[in-house]
Amino acid sequence: MNYSIAIAGNPNCGKTTIFNALTGARQHVGNWPGVTVERKSGKYKYSNDKIDVIDLPGTYSLSAFSAEETITRQFLIDDKPDVVINVLDASNLERNLFLTTQLIELGRPMVIVLNMMDMADEKGLEIDTNTLATLLGAPVVPVVGRNSEGIDLLKEKILRVVSEISEKSRAIKISYPRDIETEIEKVSALLAQDNLSGFSPRWTSVKLLESDKETRDDIRALDSGQAILNQVNTSVKRIELLFKDTGRAVLAHARYGFIQGAIRECVVEKIVDSVDYSRRIDRVLTHRWMGLPIFGLFMWLMFKITYDVGAIPMDLIDSGVAGLMNFFSRLLPDSMFASLVVDGAIGGVGAIAVFLPNIFILFFIIAILEDTGYMARVAFIMDRIMHNIGLHGKAFIPMIMGFGCNVPAIMGTRILESRRDRILTVLINPFMSCSARLPVYVLVGGAFFPKHAASIIFSMYVLGIVVAIASGKLFSKTILKGMSKPFVLELPPYQRPTLRSLMLHTWERGYLFIQKMGTVILVGSILVWALGYFPTKVEVERDYNSERNVITAHYSQEMDVLTEKYDASILKSSTAYHSVMVPYEKSERYQELFTQFNDLKQENSELETAELYALRQQEVGDITEQKWIGKIGKIFEPIVAPLGFSWRESVALITGFVAKEIVVSTYGVLFGVGEDVDEGSQGVISGLRSSGMTPLAALSFMVFTLLYTPCLATVAAIKRETGTWSYTIFSIVYSLGLAYSLAFGIQYFGGLFQWLS
Amino acid sequence: MLNSKIPRHKLSKENQSADRLSDLQPGEKGRILEIGGSEQFRLRLIEMGLTNNAEVCVDKFAPLRDPVELIVRGYHISIRGIDAQKIAIERLS
Repeated sequence: MNYSIAIAGNPNCGKTTIFNALTGARQHVGNWPGVTVERKSGKYKYSNDKIDVIDLPGTYSLSAFSAEETITRQFLIDDKPDVVINVLDASNLERNLFLTTQLIELGRPMVIVLNMMDMADEKGLEIDTNTLATLLGAPVVPVVGRNSEGIDLLKEKILRVVSEISEKSRAIKISYPRDIETEIEKVSALLAQDNLSGFSPRWTSVKLLESDKETRDDIRALDSGQAILNQVNTSVKRIELLFKDTGRAVLAHARYGFIQGAIRECVVEKIVDSVDYSRRIDRVLTHRWMGLPIFGLFMWLMFKITYDVGAIPMDLIDSGVAGLMNFFSRLLPDSMFASLVVDGAIGGVGAIAVFLPNIFILFFIIAILEDTGYMARVAFIMDRIMHNIGLHGKAFIPMIMGFGCNVPAIMGTRILESRRDRILTVLINPFMSCSARLPVYVLVGGAFFPKHAASIIFSMYVLGIVVAIASGKLFSKTILKGMSKPFVLELPPYQRPTLRSLMLHTWERGYLFIQKMGTVILVGSILVWALGYFPTKVEVERDYNSERNVITAHYSQEMDVLTEKYDASILKSSTAYHSVMVPYEKSERYQELFTQFNDLKQENSELETAELYALRQQEVGDITEQKWIGKIGKIFEPIVAPLGFSWRESVALITGFVAKEIVVSTYGVLFGVGEDVDEGSQGVISGLRSSGMTPLAALSFMVFTLLYTPCLATVAAIKRETGTWSYTIFSIVYSLGLAYSLAFGIQYFGGLFQWLS
Repeated sequence: MLNSKIPRHKLSKENQSADRLSDLQPGEKGRILEIGGSEQFRLRLIEMGLTNNAEVCVDKFAPLRDPVELIVRGYHISIRGIDAQKIAIERLS
């Protein structure tokens, strides 16, 4: 027999640990359709049965306030899993049972899992599981999820519940005050006439009395819908009159009444002399004075480890990519296809693949922060600051991550619970200057402001933060107004994370990045390659070959003159040489002439190389100008001209859309240095300086690079996380407009200042 | 999602002059009388166990004085000071 189970429970109750213990590594992570809530599913086998497991999002209730609650509710109602596993944190039973009271009303067969029994013991809580099972009308299994204690018993209980489904129907109901029960009965009676399949009449009536919008919409669609809703409206009014509060509030209070009764009957709290380690840790980590500096230290460490440790395998991947390019260029005959594979696909994806170690390490550290419970403290200590921008304290983490790479940072916004907060954080994230933009600042800043490079680069970072804050304020007062959620944050006890769950978390998120590399980035890289490759035959007006010949001829002539002079000097000095003791070839005079000649020879050939190199730069520039990429650059030249940019900058910025680090390598191509350049390359620096770019234009170029449309991978991440094209397009247009205005402002007003001085 | 027309809950007359949760200092305790504010906010708190008559202890303030950390029903929860002002309480010693 095959059957399906769904795991439901509060956040921080160890739901995922139970899921992992049940399914092992056989799990799949995806998204629930239309929303960015992770959907985890898995399988396990037990006594010849195959069981499908769904890990529902963690929720405190089924009120449908958040995407997570709506999903959980919808899944339980529509997909009807054979068994619902309700995981409870045994050390925090009272609040955890609130969700249970709602699950009971849904009427699906249930198994209650009392997780974290060890922590309940430490707290001195003695739970009578038999009585609890009777009260809740479902088997109760105590487990310690962290070391898989009790998991086998759980599997057995699940099987037993499945095989007994037909025999037993749920007899337990949460009883409410009598006045409410009367109204529930009135509504249920009307519902029963309609014989609604799939809805438990009690659940539906309760939801209707809570004025639950979705249930009301469902009922309105029925033939007798209006009659039912009329009764509901009367009942709701009656309840509000009697209790002087809304139906929802009254019912929620009544649920806690039921819970308190249950707790009184089955929990004994012994007074134990135990140390509350969690509070002790918090006394330091959220300390009045030390809390923020310690958080700062952790953030610094996170960066340090991400980039320093990530740099170790970077060279390895780099040479791996180079090796792969080498291998394929030898394997494939020199053709367009070879260039496509080697320069386009492997080169392009390889340029991004070097960031994989960084991303995996970053995700690993974030998993540690989340699994230990420190992330909730981050939200606690940073909320005061983030609240200013209209954000939740937790939003600070993705913002900081943005300094590394916007892609994982935007994916990291999943730690935020409200969709509005997620969208706002996603939209302002690209302004946090990612590490790919640094080489551009170093190159351009170093070329034009060699004395003040460091402060110019630092001010770029500051400008990014200022723009992010200002945009955040602007968005939360305009397009994302009024969607804010109240700040209600649980601070769960600290826990020691298991390596297994850390690895799983890291892999789940890292895998999404790998997926992206295989799709969006691959296509983008091939596109840029194609723009630079076609048309294959270009006409260049200048005859570079004959110019080259002229240069070579000139220098070989120079060399002949030199040799002649040398021979003459040697002849002269050897005839004048008279010593018998030392042969002429060993004399000081000879050595002197020899070195002198060698130096001159070398100088000569260096000059030749430099001149040929400069010519080659001009040639590559001329050729690129004829390629599609250059033509596009030319088309956009008039648009970027007011910013002080030439067609070269326009090409660099366009290719920078694929990945901002490409800006530097594009300059490499444009100045004929080759693609393999870094920010310290003298060829590019001298090329930039002699290209007619002014220091002011250089400054506006850096500002433009900081602010303009995030790279392709980031755009893909924005689309993925916001789920709509409208926010994605808005982000592109907004950042492009902002970049243009600011760069123009610098060019325009900077020009005024120059005139004044 | 909740209907936006649902009005904000105003505290009843007898609770309007009561102490607020925001008046408590770390270590002080109170019993909730009534929660005001938007329906969504009230329900979120009630669902989290901050029901009428529930006992609440202020544990500490965040380093920048806001938000505030509370202990209710044996667990720790944090809300903003501006929201704590909407909760009428009776001081317990």
